[in-house]
Amino acid sequence: MDAYSRAAAGAPNRAVRFTGSWRDYLPIAATNALLIICTLGIYRFWAAARQRRYLWSRTEFIDDTLEWTGTGKEMFLGFLIVVAILAPFFLFIQFLFPALVARGKAEAAGGIMFLFYIALIYLGGFARFRALRYRLSRTYWHGIRGGSDNPGWNYGGEYLGRLALSFITMFIVYPWAATRLWNGRWNAMSFGPLQFRANLTAEGLKGRWALIYAAPFGMLFVGFFLALIGAGFMAASGGGNTPRPALGAIFIAFLVLFYVAIPLATLHWYAKYYRKAAEATSLGDLEFSFDATTLQWLGLFLGNLALAVVTLGFGLTYWGYRNWAFMVRHLHVYGEIDVSDLTQSTTHAPREAEGFADAFDVGAI
Amino acid sequence: MHRARRKGSPTPSTSARSDALLSGRLYDGLTAHPHEVAVEVGNGGLVLRQEGGWSEAVDAALLKRLDGGQDSLRLGRSDVAGWRLVVPAEAEAELKPLLGRQDRYGRWIDRIGLVPALIAGGVITASVLGIGYLAPHWIAPHVPMGWERNVGSAIVGDFGDLRCRNAAGQRSLEALVDRVAPGARDGPNGIKVAALDVGVFNAAALPGGYIVVFKPAITETNPDALAGVLAHEVAHVRRRHVTEALIRELGIGALIRLFAGNVGANAEQIVSLSYTRENEAQADSDAIAMLKRAGISPRPTADLFTRLSSEVPQFSAEFLQSHPLSAKRARNFAASFDPRATYRPALSRDQWDALFDICAKPVKPT
Repeated sequence: MDAYSRAAAGAPNRAVRFTGSWRDYLPIAATNALLIICTLGIYRFWAAARQRRYLWSRTEFIDDTLEWTGTGKEMFLGFLIVVAILAPFFLFIQFLFPALVARGKAEAAGGIMFLFYIALIYLGGFARFRALRYRLSRTYWHGIRGGSDNPGWNYGGEYLGRLALSFITMFIVYPWAATRLWNGRWNAMSFGPLQFRANLTAEGLKGRWALIYAAPFGMLFVGFFLALIGAGFMAASGGGNTPRPALGAIFIAFLVLFYVAIPLATLHWYAKYYRKAAEATSLGDLEFSFDATTLQWLGLFLGNLALAVVTLGFGLTYWGYRNWAFMVRHLHVYGEIDVSDLTQSTTHAPREAEGFADAFDVGAI
Repeated sequence: MHRARRKGSPTPSTSARSDALLSGRLYDGLTAHPHEVAVEVGNGGLVLRQEGGWSEAVDAALLKRLDGGQDSLRLGRSDVAGWRLVVPAEAEAELKPLLGRQDRYGRWIDRIGLVPALIAGGVITASVLGIGYLAPHWIAPHVPMGWERNVGSAIVGDFGDLRCRNAAGQRSLEALVDRVAPGARDGPNGIKVAALDVGVFNAAALPGGYIVVFKPAITETNPDALAGVLAHEVAHVRRRHVTEALIRELGIGALIRLFAGNVGANAEQIVSLSYTRENEAQADSDAIAMLKRAGISPRPTADLFTRLSSEVPQFSAEFLQSHPLSAKRARNFAASFDPRATYRPALSRDQWDALFDICAKPVKPT
């Protein structure tokens, strides 16, 4: 029973399965929502812990479920620590900025703001690293957990540098930045004695990235074409008074297309990015793949949105559930793992939980 | 016991069938290897056995119940990270007496129960919001003006190059304040008024008794309307509305934004919006009274508000309050017009000319 043979994707004996159901989860979602409202939001840390305990325990990996051992208390304390660190800065800036502007020192105020944003981006990268590290350290399988010995300070710098480079190049080099950052994060992570290996390159991701720049122009072309057809149609029908509303409608449709084209193209890129990222990542002899297409991602987001609207906001409590189920259902794992060799992680278990990630509102993966 | 367990770590075995009550799967927290064990429920704890003679007793006090999915019960040990015993869910009845209550909502909620927690939380939340809503209003009048002046001058300074420094214009502006609110500029805590060379139509009361008027509020109005606007700002200062806003911004607003994220920000916005309206209405009625006492017609102010309410004011600096203009506010001013009263212009022709040029750069003698 120590070795597991390759599990075929989609087969009933897939290596990763999600076995939760929305009905099972309903009592958790409902009580979480109530408690969050009744505690001025303080309960949200405990709510997150309960949600994860449920989701992890309904996620089967090979022959056993995952287990979440993080607590609401540690996430709350982590958040308080981060607030204690950041609040003075925010307060300082809140006073300093208007004070400088009021004294006519707009350049100094701008400079301070610039430095402030630099610091925020650095901390945002740091936060993302720490969130991943924290989540792995609280995730158990067969009584073994993951983690990292890297504190993530360097990663924050790498994040800032690569993002700055992307910004300077009008994000043309972003695919390189994003893939290197993925590697930077995951190569520092481990599970038990096994090191994650990530070797993602921008290979195959450049075309779709170029599409993001091309999308608005493509839509412009389509819009122009539509306008031409519309104009031709109106000229043919000979209506002298009608063109105004018709042209207005075309203009609006064109505007919508313009603003929808870029997000859609970006989603199209991210869909491929995550597929390639999973493929480029391994843990010991385990290899991963992820098969969500752009349309499936779109379905997830639109579904989340529709659910929240239809349930007058209550559906928001299901977003975490739906996102997790989506990730697990599209994730495939291949290869073998020797459970006798999978010894307990020796990494330091971080104590500050996800305070920084929480403060900067960034995800872990 | 901890040491003994490690010494006698069970050997891998897949066939552990004995006459014990339950069979379970044990992870020892050292490796991921599962060990099939027989579980015996004894007094005060569990005894785990394996063929070959290995056995271990675990004290019930160390056991904690973990989330184990639908068809299994998962136990952990508080003294060994990663130690897990997985038994079939049917074993729950037998094991229940040994196990404490399972963590459900978090310990602080479990201790008092969900419903009492919801009620207590609701009451506390309502009181915090209530106090947060009212406290700035109660506290503001008791904040010493000296403190506010210090905060104000720290924030505001001398406005640098933004300030319009034409001396004659400044005298006219001060004369206008004196006309609507005699004595308001007296003393160390008196009102300080300044015109700023900013191309947005606005006027604002700032912490520390500062009143600023932006250039278009001078060049695009007339003396009587400007008197109405200034009276309104003087009322904000006198009623300590600025202090109130400052406390609200730093106090409850920061607290709610901290914990509640977006939901709270929206809630806070509603609170501060309704509050602002209340204060605005009060400042308006004060201003109307001031105009009346000064013998200045309220009509030009009403006309100004009517005109502005049809435009969209654009302004977003943090500390400068913007004033939601509405037709209703204009009507209040218009309604206070008394046809029998004798109104006098707020400023003389010369004073107004000087004020009009307050932002003009002084011509250097050559």
